[in-house]
Amino acid sequence: MMLHNELKGALPALLTAALIATAPAHTEAQVREESHGVVLLRGLPTLETAHSIAIVELDPEQANFGELLSEVEQPEMTHPLHHLYYSPAGRLYATGLDPVCSLAEIGLERDATGAPQVTGFDCLDTQGQMVGEDIMWHSSNGKEYMFVTFMGGLGGDDGGTLGVFDPQSNAVVKVIEARPSQVGADQPYIMYPHGISAFQDRMIITSTVHPDLATGVGNALTVIDLNSLEPIQNIVVENEKPLGFPSSPVEVLFARPTMNENIKPAVLVNTMFGFETWKVPYDEASKTFGSPEVLYSGVANNTAVPLEFYGTETELFISHALPGVVKRYDLSKLPELVSTGPDIQAEAGAHHMIFFKSKSGRDLIAIQNNLLNLGNAADNDPTDVDFIAAVNAHTITVHDLATGERLGTVNFREKYNKGVDNLEGLFGSGFVHHH
Amino acid sequence: MADQRWIAAVAAAVTIGGGAFFTVRALPPDPTPVAGFSAPFVFGRFSVPQDNPLTEEAFALGRRLFYDPVLSGSNDRSCATCHIQRLAFTDGLPKAAGLDAEDLDFSSMSLVNLLWGQERFFWDGRALGLEQQALLPIQNPREMAQDLEGLVSELNGSRQYRRMFRQAYGDVSSENIARALATFMRMLISADSKYDRFLRGEAKLSEQEELGRKLFMAHPDTKASLRGGNCIDCHSQFLTSGFRDGLDGFSNNGLDRDADLPAGLMAVTGNPAHKGFFKVPTLRNIAVTAPYMHDGRLRTLEDVMDHYNDGVVVSDTLSPLILEADNAASPPGSFVGLRLTDNEKAAIIAFLRTLTDETFLSDDRFSNPFEGEK
Repeated sequence: MMLHNELKGALPALLTAALIATAPAHTEAQVREESHGVVLLRGLPTLETAHSIAIVELDPEQANFGELLSEVEQPEMTHPLHHLYYSPAGRLYATGLDPVCSLAEIGLERDATGAPQVTGFDCLDTQGQMVGEDIMWHSSNGKEYMFVTFMGGLGGDDGGTLGVFDPQSNAVVKVIEARPSQVGADQPYIMYPHGISAFQDRMIITSTVHPDLATGVGNALTVIDLNSLEPIQNIVVENEKPLGFPSSPVEVLFARPTMNENIKPAVLVNTMFGFETWKVPYDEASKTFGSPEVLYSGVANNTAVPLEFYGTETELFISHALPGVVKRYDLSKLPELVSTGPDIQAEAGAHHMIFFKSKSGRDLIAIQNNLLNLGNAADNDPTDVDFIAAVNAHTITVHDLATGERLGTVNFREKYNKGVDNLEGLFGSGFVHHH
Repeated sequence: MADQRWIAAVAAAVTIGGGAFFTVRALPPDPTPVAGFSAPFVFGRFSVPQDNPLTEEAFALGRRLFYDPVLSGSNDRSCATCHIQRLAFTDGLPKAAGLDAEDLDFSSMSLVNLLWGQERFFWDGRALGLEQQALLPIQNPREMAQDLEGLVSELNGSRQYRRMFRQAYGDVSSENIARALATFMRMLISADSKYDRFLRGEAKLSEQEELGRKLFMAHPDTKASLRGGNCIDCHSQFLTSGFRDGLDGFSNNGLDRDADLPAGLMAVTGNPAHKGFFKVPTLRNIAVTAPYMHDGRLRTLEDVMDHYNDGVVVSDTLSPLILEADNAASPPGSFVGLRLTDNEKAAIIAFLRTLTDETFLSDDRFSNPFEGEK
């Protein structure tokens, strides 16, 4: 009887041994929901749709490719939420264009089957700071904070602030403001800040454009001393003016050895209206910045409106809204831009992106193609601003990461009567480097 | 003739009654999905077998079975004998006690947040799912020594169990015993420790706990002057359990030299590269689950930190993540260990204590239902 029991007890283990095998990585990727994106959708006034936060399936190999798995609308907001960011603690935040909600925390939960749900969002008190853009978590004097650029700041023609928040309570710790009209000539200023990146005790923010896109345009970086939380230097990055405007530096990446040990620290910055990518060398020892130089000219290469920096473990990707391409470079060669292959042909407005594996294990890149949260005058959309309408494809295109081949397209305007303004992975950001 | 009519009437009644009886018996159960289910999003995706969804009835049945000694052959041991709630469902012993008065091979594993993380169970990964896991200790002659057919027969003798099985699944069967126990274990979710409240923005860690958290999350890098406890290389950021992918959730953490290295996962896979691999356990409630390691050889958290600091034993299958983790620069191979300071070790332990979830440890939903019936 005992022997019988022992044999019975051993059978499952033997079966287990016979069946055991390492699950393929693509299966695990599906388990991790890597192909689910969180998107911010913009209601289009002429199509009578409301802004919303949604979860979308982005694996073209899945039968429900392009379907919204969960959606929460924001009918009370005139302007939609703008950019999504995960905190190091896994909390999901969004900046916002509407003054009633310039910064929000988004609720996510799972039901008893494990399905993800967007539960809503809480607008946070920004103490009057408006038009939230980018968020970065970094430390100052050994303590971690959430830094947020507010392109509208506290208002005015030359406004803009860098908000410093407690990452636990979301309370404002400090509003860093230094308007050109207030600080005086030749003093470091902050104006229309958008991009943000940091290395050690130096943070870089960009001076982009007044939120009304008409009052003023910037052409400089602002260096913030993270010891004092004060601006200490401006660096002008401007050369060609293909549109006749100032260069409008937008996104910035402080290339640093923590990304790859071969990287010599330097600031990379894209100029939205200058169409260029710049490099500003940084000397760690003296904490000084070298002379800016143009690494890439859109005028010379027939591209325009360079926007975002995203990195995998091995490559850096830069999106160019026109003609809608993503260029790729060797991460280990930064701050120089050494190409690793042909451009990925996305669509007009190529902007944010995530990386994941398909069901069959293919490495994919999903690119959100939409420059700004603005519509098209041809649709009688009152939010149209000249050329910007031409760079809003309202799509997410999904490509094979190795070859760039397009495997699928989700046209949010056709499918949902909405624009798509931002894209982030559902669980984890979907990229390794961004700011 | 009259007798024939009577017989026909009785036969009809029996037929109708029997038909009704079988009709009732044949009705599929309509269990209630668990109400108010809540789990931190950061724990990640989970999946529940389609034929065993989380329901109130299955949970109630599984809880009762978990605490019922009828599951053992001698009717004196339940799952809860070795999995005690206030000890995060461990038993406080180096190794669980066998029926033969000898120690079993391994310590009793904590049962917490089993919806996530590595999907193979037991220290050596011999069970591929919770349903499979649930029946093995019951049948093991040194643990509960129960014959499943006999158990089904015993449970069928109980009106209450017949009703509970009918409501949850239908019949009393070994498959449904496994499903119910698996459901109870899946519902053992610990998500209200100080660390959870910190992640939700509801609590602040002390300076020491915060230092410990940072060390926990960092792999040391002397080139970048980054000090680290290297914990996250094996224990994930939020769950603090082993990783789910493939066999990533198993590791040789340097307890024994090659000559003494137990088989571990190799006993299941047959692969010599897995010799000495054991499941990376969750660190949730780790402060109440002493002693530590698969065989309970380390008595305190201080002993555990000392092991990783300067007590690692090198063997052929030692985790490379441990082999290369050192906070002091030295030639490769000259020393294996973290070489943290006493303050840093204390900080990591302080952080580990923030993983204690008092709500979980005293949650009535997970307690012994028989105590409420006394």
